[in-house]
Amino acid sequence: MTVNETNKIDASCRVPLLVLFGGAAMWLVLGSVLALAASLTFHMPDKFGDCTWGTYGHLQPAADNALLYGFCIPAGLGVVLWIFARLGQTPLRGALVPVIAAHLWHLGVLVGLVGIFVGDSTGYAWLEFPRGGSALLFFAYMLLGLWALMNFSGRREGGMFPSHWFLITALFLFPWIYSMANIMIVGWPVRGVVQAVIAWWFGNNLTFLWTSLIGLGTAFYFLPKFSGRPLHTYFYALFAFWTLIIFGSMRGVPIGAPVPAWLPALSALNSLMLLVPIAAIVVIGWKTIRGGTGQACKGGSYCMIKFGFVSFILSALLLVTSACSHFSQLTQFTWFGAAQTQLQLYGFFTVTMFGAIYYILPRAVGIEFAFPKFIRLQHWLAMTGIILFVAALVIGGVAQGLKLQNPDAAFADSTKAALPFLRASTMGLMLMLLANLLFALNVFAMIGAWKWSLVKTVFAAVIAPLNKPEVKA
Amino acid sequence: MKNGFVIFLAAFGVLLMSWSTFVLLPQLQLGGAKQVAVLNSSDVYPVNRPGEANQGLQVYRANGCAACHTEQVQQTGVVCEVVLTSAGKNPSVVSNLVATLKLRSLTEQEAEAAAGKITAAGGKAETHVIATGADIARGWGLRRSVAQDFLYDNLVQLGSLRVGPDLADVGRRRPDANWQLLHLYAPKSVVENSAMPPFRYLFETKKIGATPSPDALILKKEFAPAAGYEVVPKPEAKKLVAYLLSLHTDVPLYDAPFTALQTSTNAPAK
Amino acid sequence: MSNEPKSPGPGTEPTASRSHLPMWTLVVLLTLLYLGSIYFDHHSGWFDKQVYSPYGTAAELELYQPKSGAAAAAAQGRKVYESICGTCHGNDGLGKPGQAPPLAGSEWVIAKGHNRLAHIPLAGISGPLSVNGKEWNMAMAAMGAALSDADLANVLTYIRGSWGNKAGEVTADDIKGIRASLAGHSQTMTYDMLMAMPE
Repeated sequence: MTVNETNKIDASCRVPLLVLFGGAAMWLVLGSVLALAASLTFHMPDKFGDCTWGTYGHLQPAADNALLYGFCIPAGLGVVLWIFARLGQTPLRGALVPVIAAHLWHLGVLVGLVGIFVGDSTGYAWLEFPRGGSALLFFAYMLLGLWALMNFSGRREGGMFPSHWFLITALFLFPWIYSMANIMIVGWPVRGVVQAVIAWWFGNNLTFLWTSLIGLGTAFYFLPKFSGRPLHTYFYALFAFWTLIIFGSMRGVPIGAPVPAWLPALSALNSLMLLVPIAAIVVIGWKTIRGGTGQACKGGSYCMIKFGFVSFILSALLLVTSACSHFSQLTQFTWFGAAQTQLQLYGFFTVTMFGAIYYILPRAVGIEFAFPKFIRLQHWLAMTGIILFVAALVIGGVAQGLKLQNPDAAFADSTKAALPFLRASTMGLMLMLLANLLFALNVFAMIGAWKWSLVKTVFAAVIAPLNKPEVKA
Repeated sequence: MKNGFVIFLAAFGVLLMSWSTFVLLPQLQLGGAKQVAVLNSSDVYPVNRPGEANQGLQVYRANGCAACHTEQVQQTGVVCEVVLTSAGKNPSVVSNLVATLKLRSLTEQEAEAAAGKITAAGGKAETHVIATGADIARGWGLRRSVAQDFLYDNLVQLGSLRVGPDLADVGRRRPDANWQLLHLYAPKSVVENSAMPPFRYLFETKKIGATPSPDALILKKEFAPAAGYEVVPKPEAKKLVAYLLSLHTDVPLYDAPFTALQTSTNAPAK
Repeated sequence: MSNEPKSPGPGTEPTASRSHLPMWTLVVLLTLLYLGSIYFDHHSGWFDKQVYSPYGTAAELELYQPKSGAAAAAAQGRKVYESICGTCHGNDGLGKPGQAPPLAGSEWVIAKGHNRLAHIPLAGISGPLSVNGKEWNMAMAAMGAALSDADLANVLTYIRGSWGNKAGEVTADDIKGIRASLAGHSQTMTYDMLMAMPE
């Protein structure tokens, strides 16, 4: 591919990416603010008692959904569009449709979040959005997925790279699980506890499997690119892909759930089996990075992708612990679960997306970031924030669980035991909020610069002297 | 894997397996469930909640109570206990025997053996089945929660975090509606060091009319409104309390057996 | 993407190298699958929808069902029947030709009164006898004479309520009374003697 062709491919994705990433940055910041507010309700519960919007039960689901649906999915879809175009060496055509779809997606997120605050939440984790919001999201995703697949099938470069498997599977995964979950829980609810089983299946497949597929597909694209070495190896990646989707999709029911024993037992079995893809993925990352160009960690895209990759390994290992019934019983209703989820969604997926977006956006728009120094600062803030958050809540969760499992300890002791760790996690959230603000600042500044360049282009065209032939007097 | 269609088939196959296991099979097994018989009784379980309590479930859902409370009692074991019901014709022989036997925390086989020895000595013994676990020791329930408990719930609010105590059996251990209302309005007034936010918007503070409302909450001084005002629960608060009081899982079922004792205790859980 | 494992410079598209997958991946996969299957075997109840943890199997769950009086008696009766009577009359109650007549649907078992029935195991029976329209001519020892009142009562209650039989229970007191009336007479029953007594 020549430089010219690469530029054309990047430019073809420009507007869809700006809409997708711009909206995503906005929801990321909003989600951080809501998460911080939710965390504060534990330190001063009395302050929020007069307003229904101020309760934890409204703030936390809103924060979670803003992160996952507002940032993670649109950012992921944008990265997929660009990677497909680059790998297939084919520019994205008919960009108007993805642009409209991206706007529809963000509208759906807005409708969903408002729905949570006015009391229409379904009460199921990751499925809280009421029907109007979820219908918009489904439709928008189908359009974006369709456009990515069309670009893939019409590609000039026919070969396939391992990232393709991961990303294509993720494209199919979401519509299936989202439609099933919404139909069988929200639309025509099935009876009783089956709703909960479907919700667990959906939650696992979305927050673990979908994010892992997109995040790993992205990492497997960028790691060899940055390190200058080939991905190690095609067959390791194939093995990781198969074992990840088989075992990763067959887990999610917590131990002790009010369902027949085979469901938690099967989940535990497959959680244990996750060790297999994790091992393969560790080898892939290690051998691809090591001995490569090894640019010193300057806080840029390469750094972020590497940090995200390590976070994935840790997050998946935390999931493997759910296979041990004693440990699982200890941590099951504690902050431990929240720590693992945030490590997966923020530490792994969001930071990987940061790395990808910082690489992609300047090339797609043709303008450099306005505040390049903030990139490194943002990375350190995000890294410190998520490490603080996760470490605090893992330890806090175990402390809480130990008190819960001890019937002689009063219940209030368990919340007291977790409180200092909650305070630390609130500080972590503040650092993450700062990081997200810096990211959003750079993205919005780029959008502004692009719009300004559009204005300048139009203005220049308007006042340009016309090329008309000399009027013969 | 050379082309997109192969990947699609792979993904489809795996997703189909996952869907069949976690969506289709549970729906086939549990989706058509009906009321079942309570052990050693002619009652059926569960009984659908009265209308106000069902509306209370929606209030519970809309306020995100499931974000802090769970509704699923855990059980980690089961033991048997042998209880002497009659000393028979030779009370001294039987009581000497009983003094030598281990009668608590037995497995089923051990309990049968001990009961057999007592019967052989002329006495009569009963084997009681007791569920064990941290939740049960804490008084949060008499047995684990099973699918049957949620038969009539739409939408099921299992919860996943215990910032507050488990509520599956709260109707049994906190059956007082007034306590529940006070707890919702000012949790710290009834539970010291409570982390629960006060849900004051479920109540109305209004001027006392000609006579005080019968509904008005009787609050401690530091939580009471200004003089001349009273706190009255709104309909949502009443529905929510009706729902909370309807939460019972204290009957033995085939899936989660235990020997129901005749005496009940109203002692509040820790 | 080309298949050659040469490293691309940054700024070009990534490639994947093609060396083969080492054996350890498969070994780890199979080992974990094996260990996991053992766990699943012990903890899953094998897809039985009534088995919840802590119970591991349906049989274990059945063990812990609180036994009411009637259920306990039937369980005991079945145990005794299968150890003593089932060898000849069959655990399925269908009897064995040339050995013992069937009990399932037998007019002697399901008769309204249990008097004649109780005499058979207590005193033994010999000589021609018709059961369900078939002629039998065998000899049965007093197999129930050595059983306690309660055990024999449970056995008779059990056979009167199994294999489609629907007749009333027999109590230990009933057996006590009949035993007392037989005291001192060690006479094996015959058809005529049975018909001479009330049902």
